[in-house]
Amino acid sequence: MNKNFIPAQAIIREIIRENEQIATFRLELTNKRLPFTFLPGQFLMLSVPHCGEAAISISSSPDRLPLVDLSIRRAGELTTAIHGMKKGDQVGIRGPFGKAFPIEDFANRDLLFVAGGIGLAPLKSVIDHCLFQSGLEEDAVQSITLLYGSRTPSDIAFKQAIESWQKQGVDCRLTVDEKDSTWNGHVGLVTELLTDVTITGNTKALVCGPPIMIRFVIASLADLGCGDESIFTTLERHMKCGMGICGHCHLDGRLICLDGPVFNVSQLKKLDVMEFAR
Amino acid sequence: MIDLKELILSKDNLYPLLRKLRKEARLIAPVKNEHGDTLFRPVGDIDTTDIDLENQPQESLKPFFLPQQETLTGYTINKGEYSFSPPPPAKNTIFFGVRSCDLTALLYMDLIFSKPFKDATYFDRRNHSLIITLGCNQPFANCFCEATGSGPYLEYGYGLQFIDIGDRYYVSAGRGKGADLLNKWSYFFREVEEEDQNRRYQLFLEARGQFTRNIQVPHACRKLQQEPVAEAIWEKLSSRCYDCGGCAYVCPTCTCFSVDDKPQDNNSGIRVRSWDACTSSGFTRMTGGHNPVDRTRHALKRRFLHKLKHDFASHGKASCTGCGRCIDICFGGVDITTFIELFTQQEKP
Ligand SMILES: Cc1cc2nc3c(=O)[nH]c(=O)nc-3n(C[C@H](O)[C@H](O)[C@H](O)COP(=O)(O)OP(=O)(O)OC[C@H]3O[C@@H](n4cnc5c(N)ncnc54)[C@H](O)[C@@H]3O)c2cc1C
Ligand code: SF4
Ligand code: SF4
Ligand code: FES
Repeated sequence: MNKNFIPAQAIIREIIRENEQIATFRLELTNKRLPFTFLPGQFLMLSVPHCGEAAISISSSPDRLPLVDLSIRRAGELTTAIHGMKKGDQVGIRGPFGKAFPIEDFANRDLLFVAGGIGLAPLKSVIDHCLFQSGLEEDAVQSITLLYGSRTPSDIAFKQAIESWQKQGVDCRLTVDEKDSTWNGHVGLVTELLTDVTITGNTKALVCGPPIMIRFVIASLADLGCGDESIFTTLERHMKCGMGICGHCHLDGRLICLDGPVFNVSQLKKLDVMEFAR
Repeated sequence: MIDLKELILSKDNLYPLLRKLRKEARLIAPVKNEHGDTLFRPVGDIDTTDIDLENQPQESLKPFFLPQQETLTGYTINKGEYSFSPPPPAKNTIFFGVRSCDLTALLYMDLIFSKPFKDATYFDRRNHSLIITLGCNQPFANCFCEATGSGPYLEYGYGLQFIDIGDRYYVSAGRGKGADLLNKWSYFFREVEEEDQNRRYQLFLEARGQFTRNIQVPHACRKLQQEPVAEAIWEKLSSRCYDCGGCAYVCPTCTCFSVDDKPQDNNSGIRVRSWDACTSSGFTRMTGGHNPVDRTRHALKRRFLHKLKHDFASHGKASCTGCGRCIDICFGGVDITTFIELFTQQEKP
């Protein structure tokens, strides 16, 4: 697909309301002949009429191509505008950009996913992809555990996906910061769920959520013996080009859009990352 | 066809040659305007235009390749269809009288705009351009290209390089278009003689001897790889930075930009790229107001470290060309040379 500033047209095939703030937009390129592939962890630059562009992670697995999911939290102008769009409307996309999760290293591993809120979006692509692989190959992942934190029970997103993962043997543990009358699950921060999981030398942990959550989860994982090269997260920066030119995502000699957004903790420690300054 | 790598152009033949070039392409040269400012401008009538080869052009070539504002694409929304249209193609342009430092900056931009994807708009302009440089026999007051390895003469990168050796220019051709041009207009030129070569070499040595400022750029770059900058230095510099962005705008190697959509009416609009700078406070602000970069102190830090530390680490060369423009523009004295001087004097912590 065109890597330059001219987006390709895509049509919204389906909209899945995940919660009040988040919806998943299932897209398909209008020109079906455009070559397009991606890897879990990569993102697109999404254009919405009159709103410019925003970086959005792909939340579906490449195995679902030609359909591509973007799960979007209503945050500002562009993200609010797309929430007002309907099935059949068109948006523009450029990409894919950025480094993916090292899925080639995940064979025979115990994968631990720790997510908060919309942070599950890029991880969802990995989980779906691993489950798809498990259906095909012997040496796919060993086990998948998901720890997912939301503010309140009504903020829990990706319910459909979580249900289907549970059916496929994923150990899904949910927590909320504040409970209501409908909730009889765990209450508290996602870090508290960590104390109940076993971490071995075979574990790879993938963490995504608000910066403060990432910081605490990484610290707890380290305490539990997870090595720096076995913990992955994604960094978010204001992005304007996605392809290493505009300079907006520059961080201590790196460009998050090219060198990231996926980093392991050992790489992060070499960077002057404000979110993780302790 | 003879090998036309180096030839001599008598100064009497300069305007006749430029007249020919102007017929082939848009010609851009340093022109002194009615206010006495020297700026790169399209040359209309050569005889009435004050082409100024004496002064340093106040702006670099950056605006011609990365305009302060430009349309990257237009868009329309028509019966639910959201479509994009490419910008008009670039015009053939010959740049004349470009200083070595500014061509070096363009070579750096080539690197930035092609890693890892080629920026189509930038390279369209670049591929339609021919750059004729003018080596400097006399550096200007703030110049320090000697220390950055970007002047006063160049060894590569140009279409043609002119060196003023008295009543004539010593002209060297780069590959491609520059050599083609010499071939095409060969009757304006004569062969190089030994005396021309000696004169050129003599002037080169003299030019190098005339730099009054001794800015230790390579030393600063190497030192930055080894040790951190004392907080006191950032504090001292940021206390006089007024966040105006002037340094980044005049700097030929500051190429950061922003992209925004500007609706024209309900159904159409344009996507505009405009200069932006890591020194402005909104540069890294994210949705919701969170800003991972602390204002001025970190902004300054980004600019200097990017040029001297990170680019040196990744390309083996600082991305400062020693043009000295940031020195003139900053009324707070927060220019790159002040930083280099403070840092090179810093005692090991
Ligand atoms: C790699 C990556 C992956 C992401 N993945 C997701 C995801 O999967 N789901 C999700 O919901 N979000 C994701 N985000 C966050 C998402 O990009 C932002 O929430 C989104 O950009 C907000 O856009 P907005 O127009 O709604 O916000 P607004 O803040 O209203 O922005 C409006 C416009 O102004 C621009 N703008 C905002 N701040 C500035 C500034 N300081 N200077 C100049 N222009 C500015 C914006 O780019 C936009 O064009 C991701 C971000 C990154 C970097
Ligand atoms: S920095 Fe060097 S090349 Fe540039 S104008 Fe000054 S002397 Fe000439
Ligand atoms: S930092 Fe200053 S001296 Fe260096 S290239 Fe930029 S404007 Fe010129
Ligand atoms: S988003 Fe432009 S350089 Fe990374």
